[in-house]
Order: sequence, then structure tokens, then C-alpha cells
Amino acid sequence: MSEAIAIPALAVAGTDLALESQATTAAGVALTLEPPASRWSLRARTADALAAVIGRPVPARIGETRDGLACLGPDEWLADLPAGTVLPDGAGQPVSVVDISARGVVIRVEGAGAARTVASGCPLDVERFAVGRATRTVYETVEVILWRESETAFRVFVWRSFAPWLWHALKACERA
Amino acid sequence: MLLIHCPYCEEDRPEVEFVYGGEAHIARPLDPAALSDEDWEHYLYIRRNPRGRHHERWRHTHGCGRFFNAVRDTVSDRFEQTYKAGEPRR
Ligand SMILES: [Zn+2]
Repeated sequence: MSEAIAIPALAVAGTDLALESQATTAAGVALTLEPPASRWSLRARTADALAAVIGRPVPARIGETRDGLACLGPDEWLADLPAGTVLPDGAGQPVSVVDISARGVVIRVEGAGAARTVASGCPLDVERFAVGRATRTVYETVEVILWRESETAFRVFVWRSFAPWLWHALKACERA
Repeated sequence: MLLIHCPYCEEDRPEVEFVYGGEAHIARPLDPAALSDEDWEHYLYIRRNPRGRHHERWRHTHGCGRFFNAVRDTVSDRFEQTYKAGEPRR
């Protein structure tokens, strides 16, 4: 008979609904909840049209990032800027500039085992996901935006109500 | 895991990021009020349901968010090709 394997519970109980702000470290991976920032959902027909409205360089290729902006789709961008940054609203122009700073949180996964931790629930080829790329994808069944900052650091954007579950799931993985 | 080529992201992505959107190239009638009940039924519900090559819509929901079209073999489940929405039937 083999020994029973203890599997950490992933289901979120009522007591888990407060997000831990305490960073955890295990197996060479640190999880940190990033401080609030100024985040925007941007829609426009072209990167140039958006750049003209917000007065910043806008990456044109899907997956590309530049100066805090990530191109998520052919007409969609995410801006992740220092707290307090305000973008022009583009009133009267065919663009959409929406403040989503309160919509989600960012969990930072950093360390030698970061890629392995992300890959535990993300179906992308995470090892080959280039540094400086960002994309919308899933972690298990939770939609996230994955942003690779370096070989050993990923930022995982997730909607607030999914965050406690995701935090526990990532933590369970790094313990495993 | 099945990989689907998104013509907007221009790369193969995992199937779980996508949502199936039914048969492709079904044009909405320009004047719905002029349709007979039978025509309307045909537009809404009647599909080709072929054995083999099937033109169908997919959406890269958990990715770039775009609808696109695909040709998939309904027997082997193999994706023959995908192309952007609005492009002619292949
Ligand atoms: Zn796509």
C-alpha cells in the first residue's frame, strides 16, 4: 500500500475570500500581490488611432507590450500604468478608454520555478512564451492576462472575485 | 490537447481558449420581415451538418476575443484551416 498523498484543498471557503496580501515563498517561487495601479481597457480600430488619443506609443502586434501597454487583440489593449495616471478619455472620437483599476488584481509569480508554477494550470507553452509578451488566456477555468516580465517573473492579471481561488491554486502548486 | 490556429493571433493556441460558434457563412436576411415562416425557420435552425469538411465559426474568447472561421473535418476533428471573419468561404 502506498502512502496517502495530501492534496491541498483548492475550493474556496468563505474564510478564504479575503485575499492574502502576505507574500509566500516555497520551492523557489514567490507569490506577491502587486499594489494597486492605474489600469485601463482601451479599444480602437488601429494602434495609431489609439496612440493619437492617449499620446503614448501603442504596440500594434497582438501579444506585444510597450511602456505598460499590451496589445490583447486586433482592436484591444490593456494599459498598466503607475497609480494615479489618468489617460485622456477620447471624448467624441471612435475609441473607448475605460478605467478598470478596481476590476482586478495582479499576482506576481517570481523565481526559478515561476514558469513551472504558471504552467501548472495554464495550457499555453509557457516555457516558450517570450519575455515581454502578454496575452489573455486561462489558468484552469479562470480567465487571466499573463504578462511575462522576465525569464523568472510573470504577472497574472485576474478579476477580483477569482483572485482568492487563483492565489490558493498557485500556492498549492508551488508547494507541490 | 487540440491546438487551433487563430488567424488574428497568428499562432496555434489551446482549444480551451476557444468557443465554438456554429456553422459559418450564414448570412442574415436583409429584410427579415419579408421572409416566409419556412424561410425563417431555415435561416434560424436548419444546418448542413455534413460528414467531413465543415465550415464553422469559432471565437478566441480567452485570447484576442475575435470570431473567425474554420474548416474542420467532422470525422477526424482535424482543423484543415482557419481564416479571418469576412473572408470568402474556402
Ligand atoms: Zn486570437
